[in-house]
This record gives sequence, structure tokens and C-alpha cells, in this order.
Amino acid sequence: MSEAARRPLLRTALLAAAGLVLLLLPLATTPLLLDLGCQVLLACIGALSLMLLTGFAGQVSLGHAGLLAAGAFTVGILVKEATAPFWVTLPAAAIAGALLGLLFGLPSLRLRALYLAVSSLALHFIVIYLGGEYETLRGLSTGIMVDPPRLFGHELYGGRAWYILLLVVAMAVLLACRNLVRSRTGRAWAAIRAHETVAAALGIAVARHKLLAFVISSAFTALAGGLFAYYRGFVSIEAFSLYLSIQYVAMIIIGGMGSLGGAILGALFVTLFPYGIEAALSTLPHADRYAGAMFASNYAAFGLVMIFFLVFEPQGLIGLWRRWRPASAKAGRP
Amino acid sequence: MSEQLVLDGVSLSFGGLTVLNSVSFSVRAGELFALIGPNGAGKTSVFNCISGIYRPKGDIRYRGRSLLGLAPHRVAALGVGRTFQHGELVPQMTVGDNLMIARHTRIATTPWGELLGLPAARREEERHRAAVDEVIRFVEIEAYRDTPVGALPFGLQKIVGFARALAAEPTLLLLDEPSAGLTREEREDLAYFILKIRDRLDMAMVWIEHDMQMVADLADRIHVLDYGRSLAEGPPETVLKDEAVIRAYLGSP
Repeated sequence: MSEAARRPLLRTALLAAAGLVLLLLPLATTPLLLDLGCQVLLACIGALSLMLLTGFAGQVSLGHAGLLAAGAFTVGILVKEATAPFWVTLPAAAIAGALLGLLFGLPSLRLRALYLAVSSLALHFIVIYLGGEYETLRGLSTGIMVDPPRLFGHELYGGRAWYILLLVVAMAVLLACRNLVRSRTGRAWAAIRAHETVAAALGIAVARHKLLAFVISSAFTALAGGLFAYYRGFVSIEAFSLYLSIQYVAMIIIGGMGSLGGAILGALFVTLFPYGIEAALSTLPHADRYAGAMFASNYAAFGLVMIFFLVFEPQGLIGLWRRWRPASAKAGRP
Repeated sequence: MSEQLVLDGVSLSFGGLTVLNSVSFSVRAGELFALIGPNGAGKTSVFNCISGIYRPKGDIRYRGRSLLGLAPHRVAALGVGRTFQHGELVPQMTVGDNLMIARHTRIATTPWGELLGLPAARREEERHRAAVDEVIRFVEIEAYRDTPVGALPFGLQKIVGFARALAAEPTLLLLDEPSAGLTREEREDLAYFILKIRDRLDMAMVWIEHDMQMVADLADRIHVLDYGRSLAEGPPETVLKDEAVIRAYLGSP
């Protein structure tokens, strides 16, 4: 009994300590690292939402960049056209995402796997097309400038403030996702992912829960897109290529399907990976000669890592962690 | 006793292939009704018709209400629980969580309440966890409550599949070969649970079974299917001696 009571306490203490470290991090770091931190946190929100959809509800999507773009453009347009405040634009972005999710969840009622992925591409191209049309129409050929938002009378500006805000939002999204997957809705998703017909015979309204997964996931994704717009201070369709969607899919595969912790590890890994490759290449002799090959080596290395995880570690980073973590942490688990 | 489930001239065909040909029977509350027949006789198809997975002709009524045209999840919500031949559990989830899935139609939480972790949603979750724990105690698998189902041996998984059907607190239980792949000891356990349910919960049970000894020992009545047709029906002692039934199982001499 006492042993069982102590473990959650230790867990809470560890989590609290980790949270404190994350909060205090910006006090002792460089602007470059802070920017990296913010990028990772934004990626975390996006990866968590995609994990909900694919890793838990089993619905494949290549429309993630399109949804991020939808959120970013909702914020950009509302700021530009109506100088709408933070409290309006972000919920509006989430609602726009939810509506798009509902619309582009509909094919999932008929299509599966690869076919569903292809249908989600339509979402991507439609959003990018509309965004491009808006840019041209308003003569904003390079994109929309977004002023820093005002929060409680303060302008939200600079790496530190953004780091804290994104940390809070990412934590909230993580908590919301965790609550969902551990409840009736999350269990229904798991059942649908395992076997649709059986899920239906157990009383689960399959269509409704698939759509719900698209709606919730898309709302969070668009929220991340909206935050991205503010953080960068700039919205342009250039930022939302198909490659971005593939990167998010990579995050959840590399992190480990069906695990929220995996989404976070994947976001961390995929965001930092290009910087790692760059750093590694720069240590080589005559590094300047390879400078032109940087992009190519990045893509190639990224592809290799993806193949490695798909073939050798389908459970991703979280699977590695579960296998390698100290025996003491494993002991006592049933 | 009142008739709970009534099948009235149920026919099913896929293209030119006739799977069920005017199958009729009825099951009463508190009755253990065995559905037997050689492989391919259409036993599981009968279950899929009741569950709303297939759309047959004829009529299927449950407690006076026609099930035909209802979506599978609506049929389940009316109190029709079932097991599946191969268990069909969610392997990465624990035994407890798999049983919680079956309480889906009973749990009254909204996605909002769940997402925000509202106290009402938590209380509701706790209440149903307690109900699931009771089912787990009933089938005596307390030791595996928090074990992922995929890590359990096949026999135990079948018991979990059985427990999952019970966790929904059905009023009609469809058991699809619950004993297949079980050891003799496990079969005895299963027989004990089935009898305990029948006696305590007054549930109507339709039971697809290949183990004729078990059927003879336990069933109240037997219905025999052969090539999608009803071949015989009655108490075990008469049906299992029926010549047509013996021929269907052993082939004509």
C-alpha cells in the first residue's frame, strides 16, 4: 500500500521538477535556443493533434500543413482586416479548423489508409489555393504581416514571453489529449482503430467518433497554426508546403504511434534534426564546400531516419525508451 | 416465459450465394439457447444479422421491437451484447480498459467534459470502473486487470472477450464459439460462468458451440443449422439423437 502510494507522489514530484526546469529555461539561454524551444513547442502542439487523429483514432492525414495554414490565415486575415485581438483570433482559428476537420473528415466514412491520405491532400491544396488568392487579391504578394498580440495590456514580444506562452498552451493541449484518450471517447477511437465492425457491435457510433477525431485534432492543429502566425509575425503560403505535412507524419512515426509522449519526442527530434545535421556537417573538413549540399543532405538523412524507424523500430522513440529505461522504473509495473 | 428474441423467416444472400434460408427461432429470457451446425452452416451470419452488420430479409424482433434496419451501435444500445470468434480485443489496451469499451453506451460523459477533465466526467468514469471491476471479479481475472490484453495467452483473451460482453450488462448475450481454443480446464471455467450468468441474471443467451458434450450438458434448447436452413430444434436429448442432425455432422453413410 505505502509503496503504491509513494510511486504516484514521486511521479508528481518528478513532473513538477521537469515543469519548473522548462519554465526557468528561458532565464539561462540564448535567443537562438529560445527560438528553437518555441519551434519545438509549436511542433509539439501540431504533433499531439496529429497523434490524436492517426495514432489513436487510426485516421491517416496528409492535410496537416493545410490545417496549420488555415489557422495561420484565419489569424492573419482577422488581424489585417479587423485588427481583431488575440482573444478573438485564436478561438476563431480553432473554430475554422474544427469546421474544416468536419468537412474533410467526411471521406473517412468511406475511405481508408492510402485513399484517405490522398483525399486529405485535397484539403491541403484548397487551403493553400485560397490563401494564395487572398494574398494576390490584397496585393500582399509576399504574405501578411501580423503585429504582436497584446495580452493584459502588454505586447507579447520576444523569445521569453513566447516561450512561456507556448509552453503553457502545449501543456494544456497535452493535458486535454491525455484526458481524452483515457476516457470514453479515446477508448472508442482505440476500438475503431482495432476493428471498426467490432467497435460498432459494441455500441460505438463509428462515423460520429471518426468525425469527432477530425474535428478535435483539426481545431488543435489550426490553433497551433494561429500561434505560429503570431510568433513569426508573418503569414505566407510558402511556409506550408506538403513537406511540412510529411514532417508531422514523421514526428508521430519516429516518436511512436499511439503515444502522446511519443508525439513530443517526435516533435523534438524532427525539429532539431536539421540543426544537428548542419552542426555535424560543419565539423567536417572543408565544410564550406558542402554548404550547397546542406539541403540535399538534410532531406537524405531525414529519409534514412524515417526508413530506419519504420523498419527497425516501429514503436518509435517511445518504444526505445520503454525498453531501455532503468529496470527500477519497470519493476512494480504489472 | 416471454420470448425475448424472435427470428422470423430470416434469409440472407450475397449475390447468388444463399447464406441463410428462412431461419426462424425464438429465445426466452433466462434461456441458454445453443445454435449448432457444421462449418459454414451460417451460425455467425445469424449473429451478424441480429447485430445489424448484415441486412437480411424476414424479421428479427427483440423485446417486440424490430431490429432490421438498425445500425449495429443502436442494436448494441438496446442491450444486445456479443462475443467474437477470435476475441477481437484491443491488444495494446489493458483488460480493464477493454471492458470499459463495452460500457460505451452506458457512460454519460461528453467529449468536452472529458477533455477538460471536469469532476462530473471523472466521477462517471470512476462509477463505471467500479462496475468493470465487478465483472472482472465475476470471471476471476483480477490478477490481469491492468495487463495489456495482447500479452495474455489465447485462452485468457477469450475469457476477457466474454467478460467484455458481460461488462455491457446486456439483456441478450450472443456467444460465438466462446470455448474454441480453450483447454479442458478453461472450458470448465467457462461453463461455470455461463451457468452462473443464466441463473443469476436471467439473461437470454444464444450460444454457438462446436463442443457437443458441453452443449448436451448445458443447453436448454438446441437449434441446428445446415447450409443456412433450420434442420431441427428442441431439447438436447432429442435433437442430438435426430438422424438428420447426425447425418449433417457425420455426412451420409
